[in-house]
Amino acid sequence: MDDLFPTELKARLAQIGEADIVVGIPSYNNARTIGHVVRAVSVGLAKYFPAQRSVIVNSDGGSKDKTQEVVMHAEGGADDLLLVSHPVHTSYRISTPYHGIPGKGSAFRTIFAVARQLNARACVVVDSDLRSITPGWIELLARPVLEHGYDYIAPYYHRHKYDGTITNGIIYPMTRTLYGKSVRQPIGGEFGFSGTLAARYLEKDVWDTDVARFGIDIWMTVTAIAEGFRVGQAYLGAKIHDAKDPGADLTSMFRQVIGSFFSLMGSYENVWKQVHSHETVPLFGFPFEVGVEPLTVNTDRMIHAAQQGVSDLHEIYSSFLSAQTLVDLNNYVHRNGKGFHIPDQLWVRMIYQAAIAYHYRVLDREHLLQSLVPLYLGRTASFVLEVTDSTATQVEERIEGLCQVFENEKPYLTEYWDAAGKEKVHAQSV
Amino acid sequence: MRSLFDRMLLEPFNRLADQSTHVVPILIMVLVTLIIGGFLAYCVRWLTYRLLQFARFDHLVQRTGFAGMIERTGVFRSPADLGARFVQALMWLFVVLFALSAADTPASVELVRRFVDYIPNLIAAGLVLLLGVVVSRMISRSALLAAVNAQWPAARLIAGGVRVLVMTLAIVIALEQLHIGSLPLLVAFAIVFAGIVFALAIAFGLGARDMARQWLEAKVRSSVAEEEVFRHL
Repeated sequence: MDDLFPTELKARLAQIGEADIVVGIPSYNNARTIGHVVRAVSVGLAKYFPAQRSVIVNSDGGSKDKTQEVVMHAEGGADDLLLVSHPVHTSYRISTPYHGIPGKGSAFRTIFAVARQLNARACVVVDSDLRSITPGWIELLARPVLEHGYDYIAPYYHRHKYDGTITNGIIYPMTRTLYGKSVRQPIGGEFGFSGTLAARYLEKDVWDTDVARFGIDIWMTVTAIAEGFRVGQAYLGAKIHDAKDPGADLTSMFRQVIGSFFSLMGSYENVWKQVHSHETVPLFGFPFEVGVEPLTVNTDRMIHAAQQGVSDLHEIYSSFLSAQTLVDLNNYVHRNGKGFHIPDQLWVRMIYQAAIAYHYRVLDREHLLQSLVPLYLGRTASFVLEVTDSTATQVEERIEGLCQVFENEKPYLTEYWDAAGKEKVHAQSV
Repeated sequence: MRSLFDRMLLEPFNRLADQSTHVVPILIMVLVTLIIGGFLAYCVRWLTYRLLQFARFDHLVQRTGFAGMIERTGVFRSPADLGARFVQALMWLFVVLFALSAADTPASVELVRRFVDYIPNLIAAGLVLLLGVVVSRMISRSALLAAVNAQWPAARLIAGGVRVLVMTLAIVIALEQLHIGSLPLLVAFAIVFAGIVFALAIAFGLGARDMARQWLEAKVRSSVAEEEVFRHL
């Protein structure tokens, strides 16, 4: 584990000794926004946890735009105006490069290691490109851990109805269906967790996989739920990012997130097969209505991508989708304009069949995941067209409906998962 | 007179009869070996076919996507049929070598020796071809997926082109292993490949200059536009 720490960091940690709260901020070329995030975190720690020893850790992926300098020199400005009581302890600030595969997960690993080294009781991680973060976020993410015995706090935001389509269309419904906890933003990016859970994460041998990249968020959430840690949510208001996310390419992002999720289905097979219902997860904070930034989506382009995918990737799809699913897909996907529609049940079956194929390696896993991108774009276009005139509440109801289809179809997943397993065992034994 | 008759007719006839007593048994033995070997090869093919069917070989190959390719050849009924016929061909090869070896004539012995020396080349060429098939399939599928996800209209053409190129390279290397016209083939491959690239460059750069510019502009614009407005996670 010491390999994770450069010499300077080791010395700095030895100097700090111990901390109650560690706040981690992963970054890569975020000089434009990280100053605001560091200021919000500093004020949050001083305002809400004046008696706690805290450390802010920036885990950087080799930024070329002076991100690390911005972190170290970010000032609170009018911080005094925000503070009711003054901090007893100084909040330390560290900016260090991380080791390992370039990616968010590797950055988090260093943060976990720092938390363990400092015997932190609570750890909070926040994205470095946030524009809507406030000092209150730190309290909402850390206090349930410090004072209420929670191990994992996921964020709960208001987002635009078109935003977070991987979350709304796959990750949230599947997490709820498989693991029985209704965590609305399982890959939100901002989390609070206990020192115990951070140490547990470090024990896992996943740091050469997609978990080291964008797969980290879903891996943290599923691991916490599946291993029985106490999970809650914190209402953070609106989530607004910086406009540009460096290195955010849809195909690789989709592949890393969905690949990590499918991989976890194999690891926790014995857990999700025993789950037959879901329960709501406690929500900390006071929910309030917020305005969200308007978004425009080019549905024609997405529909075209789906149609091209279904035409050109027929051979790949026929290797893991059932004959009936393929027929249905062809029937629906070639309708144009507003007639374009991918029904919930068809979508759910495609995802379940892909998960089974991934687990049993019916074809190369990279190819399988990449081939899902056109289907995902088609489904997203279908969803956008469907909710164009819907209010936020109606969209939530629509997502709730999709969750129910995922839950209703779970026996299908379990049955075919087991059947595919037996078929594989039979094929290997003859 | 008698001496002339002996010299002209009897002596050659005697020589022929003498040689025939050596050759005919060999020919009979070769013929019998081929007949028995052929029958055995047929039996081995039948047995192999049954075994492969029992092992659900067709089903396994179906998953790799090769089954359709095999059936499209119109020569083999199924992957199991291909496997059985391949084993039969090997058996036939063994029988022929055995028959030639049994003939024990200088020519047949030399032929067998040369063939045995050639076997490593045959194996190497076979492996290269097999690797070529696997790699070309893998790379062309990667190219297809990348092109489809980039929404390039000619995705299948690109994937097919990649596959042909990789297979051509594999065939050239295999032929080189077999010492069959490797240099002319290599040169021909290099000329054709360079020609294709050059032709495409000219076609894209000159013939479709405006289209190329528009395409690149649209590409840059659309990717930036989408990144700015849409979050998937």
